[in-house]
Amino acid sequence: MLDAFPFFADVISYWPQIVRGLRDTILLSATITATGLVGGIGVFALTLSSKPSIRYLTQSYISLFIGTPLIVFLFLLYYGLPNLGVTLSPFAIAVFGFTLNVSAYNARYLTIAYKELDPAELESGRAQGFSRFQVFRLITAPQSLRMSVPALTNQAIQNVKDSSIVFLIQYIEFFAQMQEVASRTFLFFKTYLFTAFVYLLLVSVVVLIARRLERRLAIPGMSASVGS
Amino acid sequence: MALLEVKELVKSYGGRSVLDGVSFDLEEGESKVVMGPSGCGKSTLLRCLNLLIEPTSGAILLDGKDITRPGADVRAVRSRIGFVFQNFALYRHMSVLDNVTLALRRLKKLSKSEAEDRALHELDRMEMAEKRDAYPAALSGGQSQRVAIARALAMDPKVLFFDEPTSALDPIMVREVVTLINRLYLDNVTILCVTHDLGLAKHISDRVVFLDRGKVYAEDRIENLLHRDDPVIEDFFGGEG
Repeated sequence: MLDAFPFFADVISYWPQIVRGLRDTILLSATITATGLVGGIGVFALTLSSKPSIRYLTQSYISLFIGTPLIVFLFLLYYGLPNLGVTLSPFAIAVFGFTLNVSAYNARYLTIAYKELDPAELESGRAQGFSRFQVFRLITAPQSLRMSVPALTNQAIQNVKDSSIVFLIQYIEFFAQMQEVASRTFLFFKTYLFTAFVYLLLVSVVVLIARRLERRLAIPGMSASVGS
Repeated sequence: MALLEVKELVKSYGGRSVLDGVSFDLEEGESKVVMGPSGCGKSTLLRCLNLLIEPTSGAILLDGKDITRPGADVRAVRSRIGFVFQNFALYRHMSVLDNVTLALRRLKKLSKSEAEDRALHELDRMEMAEKRDAYPAALSGGQSQRVAIARALAMDPKVLFFDEPTSALDPIMVREVVTLINRLYLDNVTILCVTHDLGLAKHISDRVVFLDRGKVYAEDRIENLLHRDDPVIEDFFGGEG
């Protein structure tokens, strides 16, 4: 392996750290992509509530998290929660903070897709005798989700890249491991160049999966509403 | 006892009455067409009758039971009324077959094979069985409307509502859809159809309920209405007939 990349040989010799970091980056990215998707669908459902107060609160939540930097909330949770007597692991804080943020973005993508739906289809669902929840589950959510696949998968790519900021709250993922390698070897240029290549590779894999999903889930005759 | 009895139905929006005391009956096996100038309340009437829009006052009796009374099972009422929309309203993320089986499986709780058998029977009746795997985007307007009718019929409704079923179609497709609805009419399917299409009304109506400004202005057979010496009706039909 070292022979294949002689330029990076010094860095790659720290492979146990690299592998550990990659594993933790993938774990965090996959977790927040899943929780952010579930959270996004939940928040999206609340934006369609028949109660104006719930709709208003949900929109406020979305605006708050889209309008403020993620790191602020991560710090708020990391440094603030212990003051309230709650101590969580860096991983738990990262998942919690990211989920709040990613859910808001995903809900916004789904809301944009929802606006493209044919209101007659939803009326038709109610006319057939489906409950509001059934209309959401069987018609609104599947169509909005499938029309948002490009945006949702772009968000998954963003999650992989953004996960690097959690080194600031002491979650030792790939970027944090590479920082340590760099400071130990003083090979800053090589280490960070290698780091960039690895992220690019990781994101390329996600892109490949994303494009396959887009093709599989596209609704015949309908173009994706956002993110394509 | 009529299958559907509409009594003094009123629907107001902010003091403006769209429906202003509409009353009529629909017998089992009868086909009535609701006609009238734009904005006379035709579509609102149809949506009030299956409670997609809540009426302000009045009563709607389906099989003798007032469906507007507090505590009435609105969803059960809707599942007994087939509704065919102007723009077909097929679920675009589902194949033709799934469009027809969805309510059968989720509401009537039929097994997959039972639902598919019934769906294919109705699709075949509408000459659409060979398109079972197609998606709505691949269908013409006429084909879409035939699937929409099959979807409504599959639920074995007491009455079939049509909301302007031909207005989104070109003339050739209008002919094919009129022929199919006429076939249902001849099969004594109970029909209530809102339309401004005189050709359709002639082919599928026992009687016409003529609405004007939210009230029943006249109710009669289409040929009698066409020969009425009445400025409002003459103005609507524009000398046709």
